[in-house]
Amino acid sequence: MSTTEIWRRGYPGEFRRQVRIFGFYFAQFVKMRLAYRMDFFIDTLAVSFSSLVQLVILATLFSKVEALRGWSFPQVLFIYGFSLVPLGLFNLTSINLYRFSDKFIIQGKFDRVLLRPLNTLAQVMFESFNVSGFNEIFLGLGIMIFAGMKLQLTWGVEDVLALLILAPSASLVFTGVFLGITSVSFWHEDRMGLAPPVYNVIRFSRYPITIFGAPVRFFMTFVLPFAWVAFYPATWFIGSPEFSRWAFLTPLVGGIVFGGAVLIWRRGVANYASTGS
Amino acid sequence: MTGVTSVASLTPWHRSVLGTVVLYLHFVRLAFLKFLAYRLRYYTGVVSYTIFVTGHYYLYGALFASRVVEHGSMEGGNLIGGLTLTEMITYVAVSWIGRSFYFNNIHRDLSSMIEEGGISLQLIKPYHVQDVMMFEAVGESGFRLVMFSLPIMVVVVPLFDISGPPDSMLYLWTFLSFCLALVIYSQINFLLGCLAFHMKNIQGVLRAKMVAFDFLTGVILPFTFFPEWFQTIVAWLPFQGISYVPVTIYLGKRAGSDLVWALLIQLAWSVGLYLAGRLVWFISVRRVTVQGG
Repeated sequence: MSTTEIWRRGYPGEFRRQVRIFGFYFAQFVKMRLAYRMDFFIDTLAVSFSSLVQLVILATLFSKVEALRGWSFPQVLFIYGFSLVPLGLFNLTSINLYRFSDKFIIQGKFDRVLLRPLNTLAQVMFESFNVSGFNEIFLGLGIMIFAGMKLQLTWGVEDVLALLILAPSASLVFTGVFLGITSVSFWHEDRMGLAPPVYNVIRFSRYPITIFGAPVRFFMTFVLPFAWVAFYPATWFIGSPEFSRWAFLTPLVGGIVFGGAVLIWRRGVANYASTGS
Repeated sequence: MTGVTSVASLTPWHRSVLGTVVLYLHFVRLAFLKFLAYRLRYYTGVVSYTIFVTGHYYLYGALFASRVVEHGSMEGGNLIGGLTLTEMITYVAVSWIGRSFYFNNIHRDLSSMIEEGGISLQLIKPYHVQDVMMFEAVGESGFRLVMFSLPIMVVVVPLFDISGPPDSMLYLWTFLSFCLALVIYSQINFLLGCLAFHMKNIQGVLRAKMVAFDFLTGVILPFTFFPEWFQTIVAWLPFQGISYVPVTIYLGKRAGSDLVWALLIQLAWSVGLYLAGRLVWFISVRRVTVQGG
């Protein structure tokens, strides 16, 4: 954030100005996307297809057993549905994180970002959106409602409020982890970076953590905290006496992971040396 | 008159067969060296593949344990999809070790080359892009075998007590089968990359591909977990040749003529997909318009 701007407008004014500008970023992006309607359609199909494959895998596992270590199919289905909502929120804005080192570091596009009097991270994240994230959100909500009916859950106001708090917090965990990884490309200009392998781990986050052994539970809770993107917050809804009291630590975990990642990002920005192209 | 024509006529351009072989082998070496420069992802990759096998180890452990609780260990209660838990863990480990070997990103490289216009430089060079990419994939996989698959084996095999195949000859057949898998995988990737000639943005397709591949190749679940009709469909698709075939060879599920037959099917798909790639390339490349290159 430019010091001169803050001096002139104060923090609230500067914040409003930046929000307005990123609103224009989004409008611009929508116009761009509308130019390629066919691609949008195919993107939507692709995301639905991916989710369908995951559902088929879950259903196949549960065609072999009634319950997985005591967790029934609707319960696991609910956790899966919940996991799609933060994943969708994350996918909406993460697309540039994924290709950051390629697009911004190696091609030197980050020079342009630094020249503008706007928050660098917001510029990178809001330059491009992945609208198919909406798809995952709606699909996830649908699956949660369906699984909730099977579990005979009743949705009250507090459940909706909980979802509104827990889902964005969980997506902060995703964003934080991948932002941290992306920031590494300020030091290592590896084209693909660390993201794809970590991305692979996401698929374990949708299973009840009790099916794993202690080392994996520890790893998923404290090291690569993907247990917080679905399992812990989802237990609040499906009512697990053992775990649901941990659910509301999710915002804290999200805050810590995202905050830590922002610090790495800042150090990276300070460390950035242009390729000169 | 005759003197003039003899001066003006150029010798037709020619490259010997040996020259062609040497040229393409060059790409194997170059790819090997190129990936040596990107070591970071392999260090982390070993960790992440180990995580992957670990995750599935517990998942299937839970699945089989719950199965035994529900059905008792008699009368096939401890078998799922015809596999015991030990076989299932071996299946997962060998699948992922194989994946660490044959994996490549031809589809991404090719599609970004097309989208960004770099393709124009490739088109004026005296080689075929499809062959260059195939040989680069061989170089990459050679690198992966040494720097990636072997370290993963060193970690995963003792960690989960993975046993060898019932017959030691099967090591050789499994390796041969994974080499054919590399050809099939690369050629499918090449075909997917060619989609970029016809679409403005193929990110969605590539994302779906990532999920669909692990599923359709049998990396995530053996086909015997699925209903009969699904098994019939996948038996007619090329994807089984990428993972399901080599892994079931390793497990000793294919003996005698079954083994030969499986390898022949892989070979047939390799050739067929290569020819399909040639054809699609031939049709698509005429659509290229590069602005300024």
